[in-house]
Amino acid sequence: MAAGSKRLIAVAFVLVVCWATRPAAMQQRTTSAVRIVSLVPALTEMLFAIGAGPQVIAISSYDEFPPEVTSLPRVGALLDPDMERILALRPDLVVSYGSQTDVQAQLARAKIRVFSYKHAGLAGVFTTLKDLGAAVGRPAESDNLARQIRTGLDAIQARVRGRPQPRTLLVFERDPASLRGVYVSGGVGFLHDMLGIAGGVNVFADVARESVQPSIETMLARAPEVILEVRATGLLAATDIAQARRVWGALGAVPAVKQGRIEILTGEHLVVPGPRVVQATAAFARALHPDVYK
Amino acid sequence: MLLASELSYGYSSARRNVRSFTLDHVSITVERGSLTGLLGPNGCGKTTLLNLLSGVLQPEHGHVSLNGAPLAGRTRRDIARHLAVVPQETHPAFDYTVMEMVLMGRHPHLGAFELEGPRDLALARDALAATGTEHLAGRAYMTLSGGEKQRVVIASALTQSPEVLLLDEPTASLDLGYQLEVAALLRRLNLERGVMMVLATHDLNLAASLCDRIILMRDGRVVAQGPTRDVLTAASIRRIYDVEADVSFHDAAGHVTVTPLRHVQ
Amino acid sequence: MSPLRQGTLDSVAATKTSARDDLSRTVPTPIRTRLLKTIVGFGVLLVVTCVVAPLVGSSPLNFARVFDRSIPFSDNVDAQIFFIARMPRIVAGAIAGAALAAAGVVFQALLRNALATPFTLGVSAGASLGAMLAIVLGATISAGPFSAVPVASLGGAAIAAAIVYRLATMQDRAMSTTVLLLAGVTLNSFFSALIMFVQYIADFAQVYRAIRWIMGDLDVGSFDPIVAALPMMAIAFAMFAWLPSSLNLLSIGADAASARGVDVGRTQRLAFVSASLATAAAVSLAGPIGFIGIVVPHLVRLMVGVDHRLVLPASALFGAAFLVMCDLAARTLLAPLEIPVGVITAMLGGPFFLWLLVRKG
Repeated sequence: MAAGSKRLIAVAFVLVVCWATRPAAMQQRTTSAVRIVSLVPALTEMLFAIGAGPQVIAISSYDEFPPEVTSLPRVGALLDPDMERILALRPDLVVSYGSQTDVQAQLARAKIRVFSYKHAGLAGVFTTLKDLGAAVGRPAESDNLARQIRTGLDAIQARVRGRPQPRTLLVFERDPASLRGVYVSGGVGFLHDMLGIAGGVNVFADVARESVQPSIETMLARAPEVILEVRATGLLAATDIAQARRVWGALGAVPAVKQGRIEILTGEHLVVPGPRVVQATAAFARALHPDVYK
Repeated sequence: MLLASELSYGYSSARRNVRSFTLDHVSITVERGSLTGLLGPNGCGKTTLLNLLSGVLQPEHGHVSLNGAPLAGRTRRDIARHLAVVPQETHPAFDYTVMEMVLMGRHPHLGAFELEGPRDLALARDALAATGTEHLAGRAYMTLSGGEKQRVVIASALTQSPEVLLLDEPTASLDLGYQLEVAALLRRLNLERGVMMVLATHDLNLAASLCDRIILMRDGRVVAQGPTRDVLTAASIRRIYDVEADVSFHDAAGHVTVTPLRHVQ
Repeated sequence: MSPLRQGTLDSVAATKTSARDDLSRTVPTPIRTRLLKTIVGFGVLLVVTCVVAPLVGSSPLNFARVFDRSIPFSDNVDAQIFFIARMPRIVAGAIAGAALAAAGVVFQALLRNALATPFTLGVSAGASLGAMLAIVLGATISAGPFSAVPVASLGGAAIAAAIVYRLATMQDRAMSTTVLLLAGVTLNSFFSALIMFVQYIADFAQVYRAIRWIMGDLDVGSFDPIVAALPMMAIAFAMFAWLPSSLNLLSIGADAASARGVDVGRTQRLAFVSASLATAAAVSLAGPIGFIGIVVPHLVRLMVGVDHRLVLPASALFGAAFLVMCDLAARTLLAPLEIPVGVITAMLGGPFFLWLLVRKG
């Protein structure tokens, strides 16, 4: 064989070997991800909690916790993900909402792995934790965390067991100065589940929706014994409590108003279905059963 | 007597900031009981003059007076009690009945919250009868034919009990039969009720048959005014229309007729 | 054909010959009688509706308890539901319905178009933008004990109306309908774009609240918002009282109206201001509820004819009853959930217009 053709075959052989041993395209394989972009605050918290924090390179506009995230670049959120920035960061895993189908399609075309988050109730926190742990190669840590959360919730449940369960109106949004635009939790969703564990009964448990806007008549008719207002942002000033009492005071016949059982909780941990659900549920329990948590 | 003295009016063209059209020192006199025709080519200012005579537009110079009292400074309502206008076309936005349209003529005579009473209804019926439209009283105006519509509008103007009637091309959109009908109606109203009329028209023969006086206009100026036989001549027609015409007394018709022959430059 | 119109035709058709003497028998039903019949007829409808509506709702009430004075009010759930939840809601519905229907009639006359609505000229877009801003910035501003949303929506409506008014009266004191329409449509587009932008930068809950506000909500919960809206409503309706016969003449044409003694510029300004005021007040009270301003005038015209002296008061009365009935449906059909009342009016309005189209064709 001529020297020229030998060289040609050698080069071809090398090329073939290189091509055959190229890194395979990433598709839902459970390997560790080194560069993670997270668009879902709850899952960012989970990632940090299972020790994958250092791998998180960018977060959503709404991430607040843990404090380390505040120094990370932000790439938008549910409605306005900044695809250019995301792609420029060259992540190997992007955590996105299940409804962000166009984002996921674009990422698939760029051959970037996607973790699709499906929002569900409290049980969903556990399944998401498990799947996320697998996706970033930390199944043991996520199982551990899941067990901790489970233990925490069980402890709360045990603590309030046997206590009378107050009928509760779980309000998560309200016009500041009036009762128009009150949004409460219906019978599904993590808020409703947390309420159940904390020893309360949701007056709208029969409505199979996560969000209900009750009319004034309905609130009067359901007659809750406790009004539990959950606010994601803001600190609670004395004027806020006074204003809340005045606003709810219009519904004089409601037991919660008559007995002054209007509880306001603030903090974004209350509305993030992530690792801090235990703190959130504990806050609920403390508000509903102050005597147990003296 | 309706008198217009040294009227001047201009439309400014906003785009070119130029006076694109003017009515220039126009003076006319309309005697009590007369039926005066206002003739001239397109753009000569007939409609503007009518609008100035009715008070809808305010002149920049000069004034209009009715029976000695100037129009300026009088309220629309006051003027409308003496002076009515019949426009070329009337398009109501809603489906009014003939009776409702005619009764609207009583508006200037009613107080702010006054509803029309038996006297107003009587006047309306009267006007309908005078225009031969009483059988249409309950019909929807928009379902009428062109001639019927125009007669209803005239009836509505009559209900205003005016001393002066201003008409803008009253027969322009009518066919021959209706033209003669409306012309006969106007003559009858003028004779029987003594209503002073000023009629802007393109129809030279209509003007010749109907009007006792003619005002000829061109380019915003009055070229001639006076009795029909004196004003409506071949020379004056050539002067304002650039048209060579034969003007002669038609025995059968009983009035002067105009037959256009050719356009000249 | 409505009885009232038929009455007119019958008495007119009663004349067979053209003999002058017989004409004395062809009296069309005098306007006075027709006005009385119209107001009484629709008034009774409104009264009946307002009496029945509070008796129906998503919770069954014990009416003996409701009116039992011996039970202290703070313990009487039935009374609270009746007097706090239902009564103000019905009053708000009646006022907003009357205002929107009457404003619709006036705008249709002003714009010479039966398809005009109280929202054609941008008043509701301004109100929606105001409300949106109040919702998004609401946490930071609070107008004391009052909710910022109605105040802000009123402000937005006023600004929109002022802009349209200024644009329409720039040339001369009489308004051109073309300029009015163009100004209104432009303002609608511009404000809608701003609304979309504000929605985009808001968070989920705020966006949802804003969208929900746009669907209309009569659940006022107390008489305070109604009392706040009352002065504007009163002024608007006082102005409405002066309009009907002038609107009739305006509908024939601006020059024709002027020739019959109407001060066209003044009538147009009066119509614009009164209808904008009524619309702004209604929208700040209950959000921009659509279709009342166009369906009610249409239905009323089918029943009483097109004379504005009948159509305006009849539309106000019927609009009030209509909105109260729509709200009744809104709060009972899917109890305990509520359908936004604007959805109900839209679901009735759409098919109504389809039917009109089919009927005409």
